[in-house]
Amino acid sequence: MTTTSTTTPQVFDNYLNHTKGIRSWLFTLDHKRIGVMYLICVLSAFLLAGIFAMMIRFQLLTPEGTFMTQDQYNQAFTVHGAIMVFLVIIPAVPAALGNFVLPIMLGAKDVAFPKLNLFSWWLWVFGLIFFLIALGVGGIDTGWTFYTPYSIDKASSMGGVIPALIGTFILGFSSIFTGMNFIVTIHRLRPKGMTWFRMPLFLWATYATAIIQVLATPVIGITLLLLVIERTVGIGIFDPAMGGDPVLYQHFFWFYSHPAVYIMILPAMGVVSELIAVHSHRHIFGYKFIAYSSIAIAMFGFLVWGHHMFTSGQSPLMNVIFSIITFSVSIPSAVKIFNWLATLYKGSISLNTPMIYGLSFIFIFSIGGLTGLHLATLATDVHLHDSYFVVAHFHYVMMGSALIGFLGGIHHWWPKMIGKMYNENWGRISAILVFIGFNVAFFSQFMMGSKGMPRRYATYTEMPEFQIYHIWSTAGSTILALGFVICAVYLLHSVFKGKRAPANPWGGRSLEWQCSSPPPWDNFAEQPEVGDCYDFSVLEWNETEQGYDWRKDVAHPGE
Amino acid sequence: MFSILTSLLATTSQGAPANFWLPKQASTVAESVDLTFFVITWICYFFFFAITGSMVLFMIKYRRKGHEVVADGPTHNTPLEIAWTVLPLLLVVVIFVVGMRGYLNLQEAPEGSYEVQVTGQKWSWTFDHPKYGATQVAELTVPVHTPVRLLMTSNDVLHSVWIPDFRVKMDLVPGRYTSLWFEATAVGNYNLNCAEYCGKDHSKMFATVRVVPKDEFEPIMIKLASEYEDMSVGELPAYAINRLYNRCQSCHSLDGTTGTGPSFKGLWTRVKSGDVVFTTGERLSDLYGENTTYEVPENYIRTSIVNPQEHIVQGYLGSMPSFQGQLKDKQITAMIEMFKHLDELTDDEGNITVNPDGAPRQ
Repeated sequence: MTTTSTTTPQVFDNYLNHTKGIRSWLFTLDHKRIGVMYLICVLSAFLLAGIFAMMIRFQLLTPEGTFMTQDQYNQAFTVHGAIMVFLVIIPAVPAALGNFVLPIMLGAKDVAFPKLNLFSWWLWVFGLIFFLIALGVGGIDTGWTFYTPYSIDKASSMGGVIPALIGTFILGFSSIFTGMNFIVTIHRLRPKGMTWFRMPLFLWATYATAIIQVLATPVIGITLLLLVIERTVGIGIFDPAMGGDPVLYQHFFWFYSHPAVYIMILPAMGVVSELIAVHSHRHIFGYKFIAYSSIAIAMFGFLVWGHHMFTSGQSPLMNVIFSIITFSVSIPSAVKIFNWLATLYKGSISLNTPMIYGLSFIFIFSIGGLTGLHLATLATDVHLHDSYFVVAHFHYVMMGSALIGFLGGIHHWWPKMIGKMYNENWGRISAILVFIGFNVAFFSQFMMGSKGMPRRYATYTEMPEFQIYHIWSTAGSTILALGFVICAVYLLHSVFKGKRAPANPWGGRSLEWQCSSPPPWDNFAEQPEVGDCYDFSVLEWNETEQGYDWRKDVAHPGE
Repeated sequence: MFSILTSLLATTSQGAPANFWLPKQASTVAESVDLTFFVITWICYFFFFAITGSMVLFMIKYRRKGHEVVADGPTHNTPLEIAWTVLPLLLVVVIFVVGMRGYLNLQEAPEGSYEVQVTGQKWSWTFDHPKYGATQVAELTVPVHTPVRLLMTSNDVLHSVWIPDFRVKMDLVPGRYTSLWFEATAVGNYNLNCAEYCGKDHSKMFATVRVVPKDEFEPIMIKLASEYEDMSVGELPAYAINRLYNRCQSCHSLDGTTGTGPSFKGLWTRVKSGDVVFTTGERLSDLYGENTTYEVPENYIRTSIVNPQEHIVQGYLGSMPSFQGQLKDKQITAMIEMFKHLDELTDDEGNITVNPDGAPRQ
């Protein structure tokens, strides 16, 4: 049950060619195809939001702004943020990679509810449609946070607010259904031998994420519906003119949106745990601490939303309480970093493209996490709040960490998904460009933020001293964009011209590396038995297949 | 632990100039905020270099050479892992306590602080000095070495006062009051920005904090409070364009470009002839004449200032707030006189060419 031979040239039956036609994809119940469809959709949305990001960066090259009006700029940063958060980063790792990998890691044929899974994908598509409608009927300029009372003020905010809110509401359900599906799948479909503490850490991370998705997302759903009602009918919940409280909206919003940060980062951490262990060919260090830290982050994440509101006028006592709880989240994050470093220690580190992304993650997440200390600390947050320091911090976490983890995962599982190898040299060049470009683009933003540059400014005519930082930032984002373009080119090239991928190119031990690349239609003929998925001493290199095989002298679990 | 921290703090003395991370210090709280900032930053440096340093070291030292079979290594070390869980925990407790102390210090304005009422509205700042009955727009004059408390509210959406050199920030929320306080330590001009996104011209919602010597402060306020009262009608236009126009400028240009509202250039000609069409399709000239809405054109301007929603000019959204109660009758007269004499007050590019006293600007 190990591998299907990859040396034979004829095409064998797999999930990509099992059935044909566009309908066989759009209405498929196969988790792998749904995962691939998610991947295509998420990457398309990423391209769209990336174009808006470049528009923002080029606008800010001069203090007067180069080519957009104030209104256009406000739309650009709103659309960039909303698409990146709701359509890209939240579904990226769980829905795209998770859907593909999770059932195979469990040796299962599919997720627990395949139809619900397909429905989640369609909801994502409807969410996107509503966002496009929002752009068509007047645009949105509220910021992705939809803060009241600006978002309920029909005279000044733009006309696309309601379609955007409905789109976000629908995307919320897409996320909830994916989460429910994963929770049930992990509970019910684990194979023989896979106790909770023998699950690959990616599954712990997606499990923790799924809990947040199911518990937190309904809150944003209700909040957004209230906002729709407030804007259309005017019921006076958030509108101060009718006795409502605009700050109440911030509480509701961040009660979801802070945990949502962990929906974004936790699965990426799960990916990195796999990358670090597999590519350093060494048993993951401190498995239980990493697993528990995922759960701890998920739990603490629910109790810290108020740190987004330190200057909103909420009481000093509340601020003090939220500050101390916020610090508690930093501990499990630190634990993960130390354990990854300990895994590298005395490892046998292959600097493949996925590993470069994995190591980039550690570097960037260290900065993203440590600068969180400045923002959790009350005295310094008052100065830094709503400045570019915050912008830099959350880009280090959401873009530099979550999306780089996603990219690492794509490169790690690409041979499995597509059955082809990409060009390794171009992969490394692109990964290094992304790393350098990212840091140039966003480190300069820390400096201008703490020096006094406010966020969401279309022009900065009164503060021309910040131009040099903006130029650096724009230069960095151009390098970053170049890295992504190269990445897109060699990945697309590999689909058509890539070398045939072996079943196990990197030397991974979890179950997805034990079926062929790409996997057969139903993954495994029967559910395999598993052992310790981080014991890599049972694998050896097979020169003819250019991949790893199970050692002849070692028995499979259950044999 | 605290004594070690305190000794490290010696590098940030009061009134320090701008450095790699932070702008210059110009308030009494800035020093302790910066102290906290640098303690955290040093901790960050330590962990960052420890983490990335060992990462790079391992990358080089343990780089995989070929495809050799690996031995299974150690899987965990509980005492070590507990240690690197507990030690950071202690460290963050220290950071929390330092940060909380500094923060509580920011909250309580000293007894007897000089009070200023701040109103934010799209997209200008108004500062009222109740003690002198003076009002400033887009400019806040305060005495040096005096605790100043800002009592703030908003007329429309959320705004936020941020004075980076003072290290203070607080949101303005419609329907409630918020406050912040500072004590400036050096005479000079400082930026005050809106930090909470508030719509179209958020990035133009700017004011200057002018910190003046204590003995100069009172005369400035007395002059501000009364300067227009003794003016003749002929002196009012120069006063209005210098003292009142700054709360209009984010929406109404002087050079003819269309903003959120119509340009002031040529406005009096349009109003006098009634050549203005409203969103309802009515023409302004239809409203003129005896026993009609506006007996004289000046009344239309007055209504547009105190009740701007009454008539909205075609092609605009009507997002102007009311200035009822914010302008005295004589100030509204000054605005009307300003419209009538705008050509004498500005050049072709819309630059203001006179000073408040009517003398030409250099």
